Amino acid sequence: MDKYTGLKFFEHIPAVPDNGMILTRLGYRKTTTVLDDDYRKSLMENINKGLMLCNTKGVFGTFKIAKRDEESVELDNGVVLKSRSLSKLLSSSMDVVLMASTVGKEIVDRIVDEVNNKDAAFGVILDAVASETADAALDWMVDFINKMIRREGKKLTKMRYSPGYGDLPLSNQKLIFDVLNLERLGISITERFMLVPEKSVIAIAGVEGVD
Amino acid sequence: MNRKDFFDFLKKNILVLDGATGTELQKRGMPNGVCPEMWVIENPDVIVDIQKDYINAGSNAVYTCTFGGNRIKLSEFGLGDKVIEINRKLAQLSRKAAGEKGFVAGDLAPTGRFVRPFGDMPFEEAVDIYKEQVKGLLEGGVDFFVIETMMDIQEARAALLAVKESCDLPVCVSMTFDENGRTLTGTDPVSALIILQNLGADAVGCNCSTGPQDMIKIIRAMKPYAKVPLLAKPNAGLPRLIDGKTRFDMEPYEFGSYVKEFVETGVNLLGGCCGTSPLYIEQIRKNIEGLSPIPPQPKEICAVASARKTVFVDANEPVVVVGERINPSGKKNLQEELRQGMTSLVRQFAIEQVEKGANILDVNVGMPGIDEKETMVKVVELLSSISDAPLCLDSSSPEVIEAALRIYPGRALINSISAEKVKIEKLLPIAAKYGAAFILLPLSDAGVPKSAEERCQIVEEVFNEASKQGYTKKDIIVDGLVMTVSAEQEAALETLKVIEWCTKSFGCGTIVGLSNVSFGMPERAWINSAFLAMAIGYGLTMAILNPSSETLMSIKMASDVLKAKDKNSKKYIEHFAALKSDKPAASEKKDTASPVEKVYEAVVKGDRENIRKFIDNALKDGIEPSVIVDKHLIPAITYVGDLYDKKEYFLPQLIQSAETMKEAFGILEPLLKKESEGEKDNKVRVVLATVKGDIHDIGKNIVGLMLRNYGFEVYDLGKDVSAEEIVKKAKETNAPIIGLSALMTTTMLEMRDVVNLVRKEGLDAKIMIGGAVVNADYAKEIGADGYSEDAYAAVKLASKLAGI
Repeated sequence: MDKYTGLKFFEHIPAVPDNGMILTRLGYRKTTTVLDDDYRKSLMENINKGLMLCNTKGVFGTFKIAKRDEESVELDNGVVLKSRSLSKLLSSSMDVVLMASTVGKEIVDRIVDEVNNKDAAFGVILDAVASETADAALDWMVDFINKMIRREGKKLTKMRYSPGYGDLPLSNQKLIFDVLNLERLGISITERFMLVPEKSVIAIAGVEGVD
Repeated sequence: MNRKDFFDFLKKNILVLDGATGTELQKRGMPNGVCPEMWVIENPDVIVDIQKDYINAGSNAVYTCTFGGNRIKLSEFGLGDKVIEINRKLAQLSRKAAGEKGFVAGDLAPTGRFVRPFGDMPFEEAVDIYKEQVKGLLEGGVDFFVIETMMDIQEARAALLAVKESCDLPVCVSMTFDENGRTLTGTDPVSALIILQNLGADAVGCNCSTGPQDMIKIIRAMKPYAKVPLLAKPNAGLPRLIDGKTRFDMEPYEFGSYVKEFVETGVNLLGGCCGTSPLYIEQIRKNIEGLSPIPPQPKEICAVASARKTVFVDANEPVVVVGERINPSGKKNLQEELRQGMTSLVRQFAIEQVEKGANILDVNVGMPGIDEKETMVKVVELLSSISDAPLCLDSSSPEVIEAALRIYPGRALINSISAEKVKIEKLLPIAAKYGAAFILLPLSDAGVPKSAEERCQIVEEVFNEASKQGYTKKDIIVDGLVMTVSAEQEAALETLKVIEWCTKSFGCGTIVGLSNVSFGMPERAWINSAFLAMAIGYGLTMAILNPSSETLMSIKMASDVLKAKDKNSKKYIEHFAALKSDKPAASEKKDTASPVEKVYEAVVKGDRENIRKFIDNALKDGIEPSVIVDKHLIPAITYVGDLYDKKEYFLPQLIQSAETMKEAFGILEPLLKKESEGEKDNKVRVVLATVKGDIHDIGKNIVGLMLRNYGFEVYDLGKDVSAEEIVKKAKETNAPIIGLSALMTTTMLEMRDVVNLVRKEGLDAKIMIGGAVVNADYAKEIGADGYSEDAYAAVKLASKLAGI
């Protein structure tokens, strides 16, 4: 059996980030930041341009928890995630969902070009759009998976975890990168466990019963 | 059972389906984790007993136990090479259980993978996978097919085509909708119905996911548009996980209490899904006693649909706008993009047109130098992912249209079919196979007839041919064929006559493209607008236009009001209310600012475009360059910094102002040098780098940009830079400041190495750090001289470290 059997790939994730989140990322404060109508209009146009440059893809796979103790969680594919806080998050879970999303190379290249050579203000807006879209894609996948497993009386943990959070070392990105066959989404990983293109994210959630 | 038998049965009866199979198998001994299909083959009596129980409880039909009988699912158990054999055997077992009086439905269900454009599985692969299963089920003697629990309309289409291309047996398609009334991939019940019944499903409906109450709503939504019988198989309420097992909360009696409402709402096939058992089916049988099925009575209305939205075309509905911009003719940028295989302009045109009011998007990618079929498929996949608007597939090539129709997860409109031989012989059967609506172009191989009468004659001829393929008048939209009035002044009147005839006599929708009418005339917009209003007056239901044209869109909306198509003028009022709020208030402020005040204002506002002009004016007024810098530019950027500190400005505004400042410096610098000839350049040098192993450098780039704009000389070494390289550069430039960035916890450790090496080499440079994971404490810990949380703070810190 192919080791990637059971992975679900999404070629086009229709995730649209919340404008408020994009603005917050850019330092906007609702009660204090002042934008006139013209500026607001062009800002929204720039955000839309960013959305059009995102080619949002994703993948997820569900894996049984083979063993769990306070220190670590072992999945049935042999992957061991060593983290006390992740183990705590997964305390009521029978399965783990590993997922990843990316907004693709086009927008990342454009951000670099705008910031370095053209319109840096536009570049930082694109940067915020790309980051928020990659996150929104994970939200979208969580929602999707929840709908899928609801019929079995199951749901995902409210929180999701990522390598580099708390006590889960970033090196786990490589383990998950391999399990999810992220090369297929056009993602690569550096020696120091960073995903390329930059606006790509990995997350972990547990599957538990509906209360 | 052939399709006639199927429909005859449903005319007089509610067809009672079976209940759950999986949970019944578990109850009767099937262990967890086994392949259900194989376990049933090894324990045949169990399924035969279950299905006999269903027949005895009142089911007219049982589903074969082949829910996971496709190659992908069976491969999970190493049985991918036994698909046909397994399906044949399981169909034979159901045949045995159903006996003489029961029907056997060959069950097809999701493969577990997602089909393009949504997922990664090629559409044809999905069709082939289902065809293989269908073959086995046919060999086992099924009476009809049921494609069930489908979560994605595209996968349902693949399964439906697989059945239709394999046999002529009846086929039902049953989707799964959640509590919000959408499938997992966002399809609403009406769109699912429109797509599936036009693609050839003999019954459409829903199963699983929700209990009876929510499912009645789905049937109610579908019924007014259903040309085919409707099917429902609800769960026994909502699932919960108790002790690792999924349980449902509704008892048979309560389940049965919904039967009457189901039938009265218009269900024609009724059974149960997860959590139900023969006891639930008994309740259905008992409660349908004396009830008569409601046959399909669809509204006579034309509908096209994307996977997530249906657009109705009708005399009583607002005129439907088909956005014309996704067409490379006359658009060099789009041509270039399509040639390079890029799609961002296509996305832009799609989103903008929908925003401006397009209901449907015309897609034409015909141009020299590209593979039209391949490009069309790519663009259709893209558009069906990013936009909810249904598509109008526009090509002169039947092959291109066929390729697009096959993979389009909706009911498309074809642009267009005429009486030309190739269209009738080749394209019409393709259109019919995929159930697409089409634009009927009233021309023939002899050309475009001049008179309306001749055009109407062609409309009837083409429709005659189309009706042989199952088309009704509600599936076609006649193009009035707009010719130019500058060449033949009667031309517009002939088009209007065709529209009137279609509306009043023939009974179908009409469409026009507008711009031809005014060709060769001055001020063409007036002619186009007047023509649109007149055409709507004669009954036009659709228009192909550029929705960015405010005049045309306004005329359309006004005409919808006057023709009572826009109920309570709601859309008109909404549209103009939005426009009004968009318009900036007219500025009555007189332009009294002096040139230097304008320079100041331009930096504060980040007006990079005009700063040069303002500086030139100030210089012309005799203001010294150093005065402009010291008294106007620097106070302006300082003020911007204050606004940013107070959060009245956010990052893009800060950067925009800084870039304006940079532009201004660029202009003034050569002049300043002249002023201070002989003086040494006193810029403070900063070496910047993102440390080794780290590739995230946008923050560092912004810091570099800001430092430059505040007069620092920046040596940016880029990302993933070793300590040795940083030290080397600092020595070479004798920079008093080194700035380091790192985004990740793993790479921030590199910063310490850099600090250590700088100190070891005896450099006198101050080190400042920044990045998402570091803070002031960390700076202190590793012996750096400061930390800044953002780009502006970095400027302030650098100034402080440099003693400015």
